[in-house]
Amino acid sequence: MSEQNLFEAPAGWLKSAVDALLSDGVEVVAPVGAEDGTVDLAPVSSSGAITLEYLNVNQPLKRLFFPQTEVLIEFERQDDGDIDVKSQSAPPEEEMVVFGCRPCDTAALDVLDKVFAWDYDDLRYRERRERATIVAFACTGPDPQCFCVPVGGSPHGSQGSDVLVFTRDDGSALLEVNTPKGEKLMERLGAVARPAQPDSGLPDVPDIHTGFDPEKIKLWLDDNFENEFWAGASLMCVGCGSCTYLCPTCHCFDIVDEGIWNRGERRRNWDSCSFGQFTAHASGHNPRPDQAARYRQRVMHKFKYFPERFGLVACVGCGRCLRACGVGQNLVSVLHDIEKT
Amino acid sequence: MKADGPATDALRKEAADLLSRGDVGVVIGYGRQDDADLAAPVFARNAEDADRLVFDDHCLGNLAVYLPRSEIRAMGRAGVVVKGCDLMAVNVLLRENVIKREDVVLIGTHCAGVGEPQLEKCSTCDVHSPEGCDVVVGEPVDQPKVDEEQRYKAAAEIDAMSVEERWDFWRSQFDKCIRCYACRQVCPLCYCKRCIVEKNIPQWVATSAHLRGSIAWNVVRAFHLTGRCVGCGECERVCPVGIPLGAINQKMSRHVGDSYGFHSGLSADQEAPFTVWSPDDSDEGIL
Repeated sequence: MSEQNLFEAPAGWLKSAVDALLSDGVEVVAPVGAEDGTVDLAPVSSSGAITLEYLNVNQPLKRLFFPQTEVLIEFERQDDGDIDVKSQSAPPEEEMVVFGCRPCDTAALDVLDKVFAWDYDDLRYRERRERATIVAFACTGPDPQCFCVPVGGSPHGSQGSDVLVFTRDDGSALLEVNTPKGEKLMERLGAVARPAQPDSGLPDVPDIHTGFDPEKIKLWLDDNFENEFWAGASLMCVGCGSCTYLCPTCHCFDIVDEGIWNRGERRRNWDSCSFGQFTAHASGHNPRPDQAARYRQRVMHKFKYFPERFGLVACVGCGRCLRACGVGQNLVSVLHDIEKT
Repeated sequence: MKADGPATDALRKEAADLLSRGDVGVVIGYGRQDDADLAAPVFARNAEDADRLVFDDHCLGNLAVYLPRSEIRAMGRAGVVVKGCDLMAVNVLLRENVIKREDVVLIGTHCAGVGEPQLEKCSTCDVHSPEGCDVVVGEPVDQPKVDEEQRYKAAAEIDAMSVEERWDFWRSQFDKCIRCYACRQVCPLCYCKRCIVEKNIPQWVATSAHLRGSIAWNVVRAFHLTGRCVGCGECERVCPVGIPLGAINQKMSRHVGDSYGFHSGLSADQEAPFTVWSPDDSDEGIL
């Protein structure tokens, strides 16, 4: 890394950057608004499609690297009775630049990187990560459901981003370069941004009002696998998977074979610990027989098992689970209740 | 409607009485958490808990979803707070023998509509005052005359498209589906112990979130609710990717209404299409 890691970009820089990358044949993924008002990361073919009006994108960044469904192998029965098995081809080699994700979602990549390179080097995940340069946008207006700070993040957190952008009201921006990949991108963008003056201060970090202590919570979790608390805390949970599927760190998957009489494919699909079938055994036995056991797993995995195994909590405080829950199940209040006991 | 209004006062008193008399083991109602937009469920087990109950225009959910659950049944007889729309779902649970009338105490609430902005379904509501409850709290609300066309507006807008446009529309909607099954889990009438998508020997409906799997799932969901769905709108409200499921339900309801003169949920002793048989049935359509 060179010493110069702060760049100044004039209003309109994003358009210039995106157009330059697109004309170079780079895949650009950026926030795009839908008719219903939601904003999601999607590949764009022009800078005009990009919106900057959002607190966070609706669906988490993880799906770019760990897609909801993907083909692992294809198989086909041949005329001579042999089964021909084809491994699905690798992701495209062209580079991808992702604009507009938030620091919570990039911090979540740290969690995913650890899991997908743990006991097994997940080639597909790694290839997708390697081809991507991530240009995150620092948060300017977190909402009351945001809680990145107590889980170790910040609205200005640079963890997981190659470049972190601080946008000013007039559209100009300060670009903080955090990795060699980010440096390479800045070189490529050339005149779009110029080195900032050494005295260019970063904007103030917006406040996050939610607080709790994950270490204190873990101490309680260590001793309370069996506790009536879980039955009460999970009573309103109806057992859908929206919190897990919108969670930027949840990474459980199922592997299924789908096919017709002579050919098919093996797919990897997201799965959720909220579902009863997630742990159902072929015998009929289910070690997590009720929502209390399933909800406990979700909290334990994020705040006890993951920290024990990898040294960090598997929650980045993006608040999606709070916003998306249709019945109002609130992880932060559950954690507050744990802290109080 | 304010959380500290007369409906809340009456509700707390009724719930506390039911609980302290031992008439019920739990009262399922709504509570408020800070300034959340959505009033989350409260499961009051004693008179003291009853003070956490509220009723106001943040009470969006349909609490009937909890009645068939084993955790709730284990608490004994259940009191449940129901708006008129929620009561329609309770009527179907009664009609389908999922719950027994003597096992529930229905605490109805007069309701002028919920949500900020108000939910679309409330503009065509004709059950502002629930009928057939054990007790009803709150101020009676004038029942405006409902325009039938308005009730099926979302479906009609889609019907107005050409076949190709409609296919494109639904394809783009189902392509968004992430298969979280929030629509199913929040639906009071999706009480199957094992859903068809969970039947995997063989796997009848592909679980993958590709277009084929998600179309299959959403069509199966619609079929299984045809003639049963009461239009409470919970599936669409909770969908994290904004699929207009209400329009599908409207379309199916309208079909059942036009074909059989049946509107689900109006009472607990309706005879529903496809569930009764009589030798006098018309044999039109039977091959």
